[in-house]
Amino acid sequence: MTTLITARRDRVLAAMADRDIDVLVLGRQDDANYATGMHRLWTAGTRPFGAGCVVVRSTGRTHVLSGWDAGLPETMTWDDLYPSTWNPRVMSGYLSAIPGLTDARRIGVDEVSPSFERAAARLAAGAEIVPADDLMASVRRHKLPAEIELIRAACATAWRAAQALSADGASDATVVAALGQAGATIPSSAPILHTDGGVTTFDIGIILNGYEGGCSGTVGETTELPALVDACRAGADHRSLAHAAGETGWLIRGLGMGFERPVIDSAHGKNETLSEGMVVSVSDGRTRNIVAVTDAAPDVLSARPKD
Amino acid sequence: MRADRLARLQAQLVADDLSGAVLLHGPHVTYATGHVPEAVDASHATFKRAVAIVPAEGTPRLHVHGDAGEVDCEIAGPLWPELDDDADALQTSIGELLGAGRGRRIAVDSVTGAMARARIFGDATLSDASRVLGPIRLHKTDDEIACIERSQFETEAAMEDARNACRPGATRSEIAGVFLAGMRKQGATHNEIDPIFQVMPRHRNGGPRTANGDVAFPTGIENSTFATGDLVWVDAGHAFEGYASDYGRTWIVGREPNDQERSCFDRWSTIMEALTDVVQPGATLGDVGRAAVAANNGKRPWLAHFYVAHGVGLESAEMPMVGSDLGEEFDSGYELAPGMILVLEPIVWDEGIASFRAEEIVTVTDDGCRVLSSHPGYAPFDR
Repeated sequence: MTTLITARRDRVLAAMADRDIDVLVLGRQDDANYATGMHRLWTAGTRPFGAGCVVVRSTGRTHVLSGWDAGLPETMTWDDLYPSTWNPRVMSGYLSAIPGLTDARRIGVDEVSPSFERAAARLAAGAEIVPADDLMASVRRHKLPAEIELIRAACATAWRAAQALSADGASDATVVAALGQAGATIPSSAPILHTDGGVTTFDIGIILNGYEGGCSGTVGETTELPALVDACRAGADHRSLAHAAGETGWLIRGLGMGFERPVIDSAHGKNETLSEGMVVSVSDGRTRNIVAVTDAAPDVLSARPKD
Repeated sequence: MRADRLARLQAQLVADDLSGAVLLHGPHVTYATGHVPEAVDASHATFKRAVAIVPAEGTPRLHVHGDAGEVDCEIAGPLWPELDDDADALQTSIGELLGAGRGRRIAVDSVTGAMARARIFGDATLSDASRVLGPIRLHKTDDEIACIERSQFETEAAMEDARNACRPGATRSEIAGVFLAGMRKQGATHNEIDPIFQVMPRHRNGGPRTANGDVAFPTGIENSTFATGDLVWVDAGHAFEGYASDYGRTWIVGREPNDQERSCFDRWSTIMEALTDVVQPGATLGDVGRAAVAANNGKRPWLAHFYVAHGVGLESAEMPMVGSDLGEEFDSGYELAPGMILVLEPIVWDEGIASFRAEEIVTVTDDGCRVLSSHPGYAPFDR
C-alpha cells in the first residue's frame, strides 16, 4: 500500500508542477484519500467545503485534518497532521503553520465556498484561488495496476453479498448483513433490488479499502455482457459508445476511489475518448458492469467470481 | 413542514437583502425543497447532487437525478454541477429564477470547479448560504422534532439486535451489518455514518497518539474482533426525512460489568440528570457546561476535541455546541430557546480502570426539556 500511496502522491505533485499550482486544498474525502492514503471516519452525503487536506509542492508534503495518528499511512509523519477544531480562528492558525502555505501564489481547490475564499485571502495574501477539481480528475483518470486490483477485490466482496441472495429471500437487509460479514460497511451507491414474477435483479456498490467495487445481475442466472461493455476499448468515443448503447438510459462513468470522471451518456461527454488504464462503470439501462479499458477486449473487473 | 421551512428560508433571504440562494449541499436542498438525497458515498452524492435554486420570493426550482420524492417546488431535469458540459444550463436556470442583471446578491454553499471556470455567477455578490440557513435551522418545528424522534426510535430498536450479536469472536463489520440490516427491516435506508463500535483502551495513552492527550474517538477505521471484557463505545446515526438520530452507548463484551465499570455508569447517570435539569429556555450553553462539570466533581466530562452537547437536525452535529473550543465566553452568551435540540453526551473516565459514554437527545420545551427516546435502557449496565 505504501508504494501505491507514494505513486499517487507523486502524480499529484507532478500535476501541480505542470499547472503551476503551489498548494492544493482538498475538501473532498476521495481526493484527500488519493493524495495521502489517510483513513478517516466515513460519513454519507455531500459535505460543506473545508480544508480537510493540504498538499504543498515546495515541500512535497501532504497534510491532513486529524487529531490522532490512527489511520496515518507510512508516507506521512505526526507533524503532517493538524487537529479538528470548531473555531475558525484556531483553524486559520493551524493552516498558517503549514510550511509553504502562507507564501503560496496559486492555490488550487477541488471545490470552494465564499467563506473559504475570504479565509484564504487572509491566510495567503495575494494568492490566486484556482479550480483544481480537473487536476485531480486528470490524475485519477488512469489507474495504476495496483488500483485496478483493489477495484477487482472490492467487486469480489460485493459478489459475496449477491451470493447471499436467493430468489425467494432477496432483501436489502440480506445484502447489508452479508456485506458486513464480508467486512464491507460503506455503500458507494444504495443497493438496488427488483423482484418481478419470481425474477430478482440486483445492483450492489461498496467502498472497500478506499476503492469502489460493485456487481449486478439476476439471482440464480448468468447474465450475458451487453454490447456496450465490449465497446469500451481504447479509442472508443462518444459516437461509437452511443451506437453500441442503442437507446437512452445508458451511462459510462469513471470508477476508482468512488464516482469519477469521465461521465458519458447521451447528453454528456461528447468529446471524451476511452483509453487504456481507465476504469469505468458501464450501465446499459438494465445491468451494470465495471471494466478496465485495454487495447483489446475490456477486462471485466465485476465478473462473477468462480465458485 | 416543507412549507414552514421554505417560508423561514425565504423570510431570511428577504431580511438579508438577497436575491436568492443556490444550494448544492444535501441538507440545504432538503431544507429548501423537501427532497432528501440518498445517503451514499460522498463521491456519488457530489456527482449526482440535486441543485435547489431558491428566489427570495416565488417558487423554488429543484434539479434532481431520479425520484424527487414529496417536494414543494418546481421539478426540473437533472444537472451535473461537476461537469463543464452543464455549466451553461445551470447558469441559465439561475438566471431564470434569480435574474441575470447587475447588482444581484446570491447566497451559495458551494462553487464547483465547473461553476467557477464558467463564471456562472457573473458579477453577482456571493455570500455563504450556511450563514443564512444556520440560524433558521436552530429552532426546530414540531414536525422536525417528530422526524428526529422517529429516527431515534428506529435506531434504538436496531441497536438491540446489534448488542445481542456483539459477542466474543464477532467483528466490528459483522455487528455493523446486523445493525444496518435491522434498520433496513424497518424501512430505514439513510445511514449517515459508518457505525462505530470502538474498543476503548482503559488508559488514555493506550490508544492512538492524539494532539490533545485525550483519548482518540471516533477513529472509524478499525475492524476489531471483540473479546470478552472489551469495553466498546457505540455511536451511530440514521436519518428519517433527512433528520438524524444519534445513538451512543457503552457495552461490555461477553460478561456483566464489574463494580468499577458500574460505578462509571452511576456517575454518568448523575451527570445526565444534572444536564436534563439545567436545560430550559433562558439557560445559556455556559450554564449547561458548568452543570456538567459540577456533577463530575469539577472535571469536564467530555473529550477535549468535542463538547458535552451538540445540536442535531438535518446534520448529525449542528449548533448549538456546549463546551467546544469556541470557548466559555461564546457559550455564556448563547441562550437556549424552545425548539432547540441538544444531544447530551457526557463521558465518565476513570483513568486506568474504566469509562462510560452514552448519549440522549433532548428538545428544549417551553419550561424545560423532553427526552426523544424510546428509552431502551443502558444494558448491560442497568438492572
